[in-house]
Amino acid sequence: MGTLEASGRIGAPPVSARDRLIRLFAVGEVGVIGALVVVVLFFYALEPAFLSERNIRAILTVVSFVGIIAIGQTILLVNGEFDLSVGSVAGLCAVSSAKLMTVFALPVPVAVLGGVLIGAGIGLMNGLVVVRLKIPAFIQTLGMLFIGQGLIQVVTNGYPVYPLPPSVSAVGFARPIFGLGWSFVFFIVAAIAADLMLRRTVLGRNMYATGGNPEVAKLVGIDTDRYKIGAFMLIGALAATAGMFVMADLSSGTTSIGSGWELAVIAGVVVGGVSLFGGAGTMAGGLVGILLLQVVQSGLVVIGVNANWQQIAVGIIMVLAVGLDILRRRFFIAGGAREDAAPADPSPLRSE
Amino acid sequence: MAAETDAPFVVEALSIVKRFGGATALAGVDFRVRRGEIHALLGQNGAGKSTLVKILNGVHRAGSFEGRILLDGRPVSFGSTAQARLGGVGYVPQEIEVLEQLSVAENVFAGQTGLGGRLVRQRVLERQASVLFRELGLDIAPSTLVAALTPAQRHIVMIARALAAKPAVLMLDEPTASLSGAEVDRLFILLRRLKAQGTTMIFITHRLPEVMALCDRATVLRDGRVAAELKRGEFDAGTVIAAMSGQRLSRLYPAHTPPAQSPVLLEIDGLSVAGRGHEQRALEGIDLTLRAGEILGIAGLLGSGRSELLGAIYGSVPYSGRIRVEGRAVTIRRPKDARDAAIALLTEDRKRSGLLFNLPVAKNITIGNLMLFSSGGVLNPGAERAAALRTMRDLRVKAPSPNAAVAHLSGGNQQKLLLGRVLMRQPKILLLDEPTKGVDVGTRSEIYRLIVDLAETGVGLIVVSSELEEVIGLADRCLVMADGRFVDAFERGAGSEERVLRSIAAAQAERAA
Repeated sequence: MGTLEASGRIGAPPVSARDRLIRLFAVGEVGVIGALVVVVLFFYALEPAFLSERNIRAILTVVSFVGIIAIGQTILLVNGEFDLSVGSVAGLCAVSSAKLMTVFALPVPVAVLGGVLIGAGIGLMNGLVVVRLKIPAFIQTLGMLFIGQGLIQVVTNGYPVYPLPPSVSAVGFARPIFGLGWSFVFFIVAAIAADLMLRRTVLGRNMYATGGNPEVAKLVGIDTDRYKIGAFMLIGALAATAGMFVMADLSSGTTSIGSGWELAVIAGVVVGGVSLFGGAGTMAGGLVGILLLQVVQSGLVVIGVNANWQQIAVGIIMVLAVGLDILRRRFFIAGGAREDAAPADPSPLRSE
Repeated sequence: MAAETDAPFVVEALSIVKRFGGATALAGVDFRVRRGEIHALLGQNGAGKSTLVKILNGVHRAGSFEGRILLDGRPVSFGSTAQARLGGVGYVPQEIEVLEQLSVAENVFAGQTGLGGRLVRQRVLERQASVLFRELGLDIAPSTLVAALTPAQRHIVMIARALAAKPAVLMLDEPTASLSGAEVDRLFILLRRLKAQGTTMIFITHRLPEVMALCDRATVLRDGRVAAELKRGEFDAGTVIAAMSGQRLSRLYPAHTPPAQSPVLLEIDGLSVAGRGHEQRALEGIDLTLRAGEILGIAGLLGSGRSELLGAIYGSVPYSGRIRVEGRAVTIRRPKDARDAAIALLTEDRKRSGLLFNLPVAKNITIGNLMLFSSGGVLNPGAERAAALRTMRDLRVKAPSPNAAVAHLSGGNQQKLLLGRVLMRQPKILLLDEPTKGVDVGTRSEIYRLIVDLAETGVGLIVVSSELEEVIGLADRCLVMADGRFVDAFERGAGSEERVLRSIAAAQAERAA
């Protein structure tokens, strides 16, 4: 009984310098944007060529591929689930659409649509298994990662699908803005749309409720199952899209497309403050996180650090970022307003 | 079977005072238990039973309350539940807490060190467990996985776990709440055997027949004070019920007269809900009618089926039976169906099924009501914020700002926030499950006022509360629930806490016979 009365009531807060600082840090993206600026300046100081046009373009091109999937991963994480199969889904959809346009000689738009549908179909399957059979997303999508890798080999027999119709290569080689490809244009448009969706629509708000506490969400009338399945389908379709952009870029349905992306995507959005426990994080944060990791990897190459150290850096940054985020929430947001009598919240990430 | 009346005290809790914020849960309680007796601790919800239990078992640690605790005459101060356990207080919680994937023996000795060195030796554990089980006269093989046991057997494993630490006193918190009649009988045989072996026990329950069958003495709490200390032979249902209900701090309930002839809003025929696991049905053929402007109270103890009733009407619990809203038959499969039929629910458990801790105050108010501030699925942030601010002002939700974290609000303000959420779509039928649980006195009267105001505007309300006085004080008509059925009904002014408790006790006695 009555333990809740124990937490003190808060009056109108005086606006002091400390409060301003707290409010600043309470905005999740500030930390990761600050880190990005520091890292960029660091590499620039060591090697001015880091900010060369060519290098920036190279970074943004990679970000556009991985970022397309990160859009889906951020939305899925907000809904309280995640997907480890995105890399192999990207590869599978790329080689499948390549087969459709070569072996089956389908028109390119139809083959591309086929690739997207395969991605969405796999997402539907992931979503149904997770939501209806209540198999954890970790298991289901890890399984799908292996299944996808196997299917890539089945579809291609291990050989790249080549040559592709000229229109595919034309899309791959086109540089519509700032010397960046169509994948970048798609990435930016999709990112803006997804950001607006999360922040400004009923759909987006209901997603935060679904990920924050599915029981509450159901009780206020939200069909949480449908939201989760939809988010799985979206990330499947986006993974397919990213895979096909890489295929166009390479002018070849290579079997290694997407390999290793799943971890890069999750690490990136988590660095950007998207909670693995659901219901917290923003599109801007997730995508800046992706950019930060890419900048670090590229910077290490530019200043001539051994490639093996890049992975080590990524690992350290991810753990640091999540650790700092947990501390930030604990100190700046939870703010010690609870007395010892109040029951402890099981997860510090939820008690924001 | 009666314990010697002059046996020394094993437990003495003296002048215990415990406050939560402004509310006083225990106001100077003296509680003494003699060696070898089974001592009943009785009282309504909110009387202070659980607080006293938590002080004795170390949940409320030493220093967070006033007063002294003596165990075998020596003062003790527990900083944690582990210390209380080592110090000689065995506690069997009401909820079953077992490690399903471990064996019975491992569960019994979980948390105990010094058995077979650093590494746990399965053999040693099982031998020790079988010794213990022989003493207790139990026939559960120590190597069995707990996952394979029935709820009753799991409860016994928990009792064995508490006894394994050789406690000076064993506290049993509503041990019969989830047991069937036959299982209760077996449990009582075990408890009598323990008593014969000299174990001192504190027995916390709501069920009076059990107290009379088992206990030597009883302490009755009311409003954080000891209302009566009774010896065997002194307690019959009448005395105990009188002590439990007595004259309570009178709260002001706003006056309300339901309209004489108002349309029927909700009609329920033959509503049944399946029980969990092996239990019988949670609800058995409930009939109920609610009129516009009426406050219908449902009084019942925990596990009586009252939460299932609200859950069925709101679509979160599957049911069979017929529900009609304003004369139209409706099928309610999920909460959305209920909301579309203008039914709203204020849930009992704010933390688990009410608040969204990942969203700030304003968004917690508007969630589920977003259709009011959007067109084509696109939110209008200005309209949303204005509506949230209006709700905060109307219901006087005190928060630093609409963007504050809900975790920072007091229980009362969280409750008003949730009321604001469910009222935003102007429901015609409002279901309130424990509307003032964990809420301060000031907010309580605000919530009572609001309930009556809503009834005045023609909303039909169903109020469920385990605080009998609250149900009786608020309701125009009160239904008493026990074991999934209505066992009594009375109009405003015709009933009392005593009547409710008697009806429930009679129903339980009838069930047990």
